[in-house]
Amino acid sequence: METLTIGHGAGGSLTQELVSMILGRFPGNPVRDREDCAILPEGIAVTIDGYTVTPLTFEGGDIGSLCICGSANDLSVRGAKPLYIALGVIAEEGFPLGDLIRFMTSAAGVCSALGIELVTGDTKIVPRGQADGLFLTTCAIGRIGTHSGLGTSNISPGDVILLTSPPGMHGATIAASRYGLKVEGLSSDCAALWPMIEKLLPLEGLRCMRDCTRGGLGTVLCEWAESADIGIEIDETLIPWDEATVSVCDLLGLDPLHMAGEGCAAIVISQEEAADALELAKKHPLGKRASVIGSVTGEHPGYVGIHTASGGTRLVDKPVGEELPRIC
Amino acid sequence: MNETRERIALLSKALDLMTDRPIRVMEVCGTHTVSIFRQGLRSLFPPSLELVSGPGCPVCVTDQGEIDAAVSLAGIKGVTVATYGDMLRVPGSGSSLVNERALGRDVRVITSADQALEIARNEKTRLVVFVAVGFETTAPSTASVILDAHREGRGNFTVLNLHKAVPPVLEALASDKNIALDALLLPGHVSVILGLSPYRFLPEDHGIACAVAGFGAEDIMLALVEVVRQIREGRPRVASLYSQAVREEGNCLARDLIDRVFEPCDSSWRGLGNLPLSGYGLREEYSSIDALKRLEISINDTSPPSGCSCGEVLKGKMLPRECALFGRLCNPSHPVGPCMVSSEGSCAAHFRFSRGGDHPWKH
Repeated sequence: METLTIGHGAGGSLTQELVSMILGRFPGNPVRDREDCAILPEGIAVTIDGYTVTPLTFEGGDIGSLCICGSANDLSVRGAKPLYIALGVIAEEGFPLGDLIRFMTSAAGVCSALGIELVTGDTKIVPRGQADGLFLTTCAIGRIGTHSGLGTSNISPGDVILLTSPPGMHGATIAASRYGLKVEGLSSDCAALWPMIEKLLPLEGLRCMRDCTRGGLGTVLCEWAESADIGIEIDETLIPWDEATVSVCDLLGLDPLHMAGEGCAAIVISQEEAADALELAKKHPLGKRASVIGSVTGEHPGYVGIHTASGGTRLVDKPVGEELPRIC
Repeated sequence: MNETRERIALLSKALDLMTDRPIRVMEVCGTHTVSIFRQGLRSLFPPSLELVSGPGCPVCVTDQGEIDAAVSLAGIKGVTVATYGDMLRVPGSGSSLVNERALGRDVRVITSADQALEIARNEKTRLVVFVAVGFETTAPSTASVILDAHREGRGNFTVLNLHKAVPPVLEALASDKNIALDALLLPGHVSVILGLSPYRFLPEDHGIACAVAGFGAEDIMLALVEVVRQIREGRPRVASLYSQAVREEGNCLARDLIDRVFEPCDSSWRGLGNLPLSGYGLREEYSSIDALKRLEISINDTSPPSGCSCGEVLKGKMLPRECALFGRLCNPSHPVGPCMVSSEGSCAAHFRFSRGGDHPWKH
């Protein structure tokens, strides 16, 4: 009997297979693309995401701030201002009420900073052992403003790839805590990207954006290369690496290009406006380490290459399933 | 161009100038395999320098019967299997540890041996089986927790001991005339423990050039320059280019630990079969910690999956892409053999970083 494994939820190729299987049961449905959120008539943008993180509180955030930032970011990267949120709470019998209140307070903090209204919700308590403490689901609704045409299909050769902050910080923080590593300076980048992204939206050369969550920067680039049928080349030395993230990944044998961020966006922009975009991003605290990391090419469509710090070149791939630490 | 790139480019140029005939080098260690790919070094080697991956990925060399034993342990009521992450997705004959976990069996990922003992200390109603794999790098920490558990009389802690020794497998490869290695890139971490003397038979008896290397791009390029120089001069030896970590005599403390708990025993290697005295068996006085004895299971002689050539790949006789299953039928999403599963497996590395050579940056 084939069963689901953790890998099916890890954002890599197994997840893609699972999603295709599910979509296959909805013939003729209107899911048109595989972007981070759906754009409905009249510019309404909607997304839904479930949050199951262990530990619930981590350096740099908690499941409460994460569940708002994550869904708000999915709207933001398509140019939609997050306006409303619906929140589903599934908690396990025996879960400390004080913890729940603390997480809700932190969620509310992000909402109020962004001007997002909580408009509806649901709570379910399940018997002990049927949920890992607390699961949160948020559905975010927003509206497209000035820039309505953002999407993968806009990418064309000559465009420039910009990264707003170091990749993989959230994933490395969670992995370190899960595998009992204490690393100085390691922190999740969990943050709402809208205030920075809002500034970039007037740029006409903006092609598309993605937040580099599950599967990391590597997955975002590979999906772009595959779906737009273009090639991408990035330079390892131009990526604004976070030192603590890189050392956790070295220790555990994980690829920082495959680790999730929760406040890090990859942006494709025309060559002409790349410098303006970089300057705008850098003006905002979330983008102070923003960097141009590579470009789009008409050569080798479907493939992402990285020029390594050693001067060699190799392929960038998507992770397959759960990223597991190595042996020695 | 930054400084690192300039230095690597110089080393690449040197390698190119020095390599005037086909040279076949095996990198023994899985960490080297991945490091070479991840840093894109293959694109900097001269065409006549052939690098083949060896049997240095602990998961990959674990025999099919051993994997099946680990999987069957997970199915026993009251048992918690604790092991390294790489082991989880390796397909056994019927199931894998990751599938067992999905079915509700208690399988936990640990990153060090003492975490397995810690589980036993904290959860006294569970019988913990630590599935211990790896070479001289992980054997000392396994030995150390076995000593601790023995001292504490920790009745709910056992070990499925699958540790293997590196020098005997190198002997088997060096003696195989069909493999025809000119040089070996010796494993950095294993050599930290063993020192240099256990490798001397390689140049002395088999004429194989050897260099112990660290894992950075420059370390690896320098080690390659070193072995090519040895070959050109016709004077093979064991050179250490990892002197900041490897001492001539190795790490005596770690070796003592190994000796106290283990004794040499015959061991089955995937693709290589049973090699005499190539394993670390538990000494009799620690037999109460032996999971096989405690749970009365045995390691059966099981054939690998049909068509899987992991054994030939591990010996350097076949490139991953030469396997009929590579890519289409065996890939990281749907692996058939362990070399496609482990993050340090050569098939997985060839697939992830170069699609087996079928990509724009030819290696």
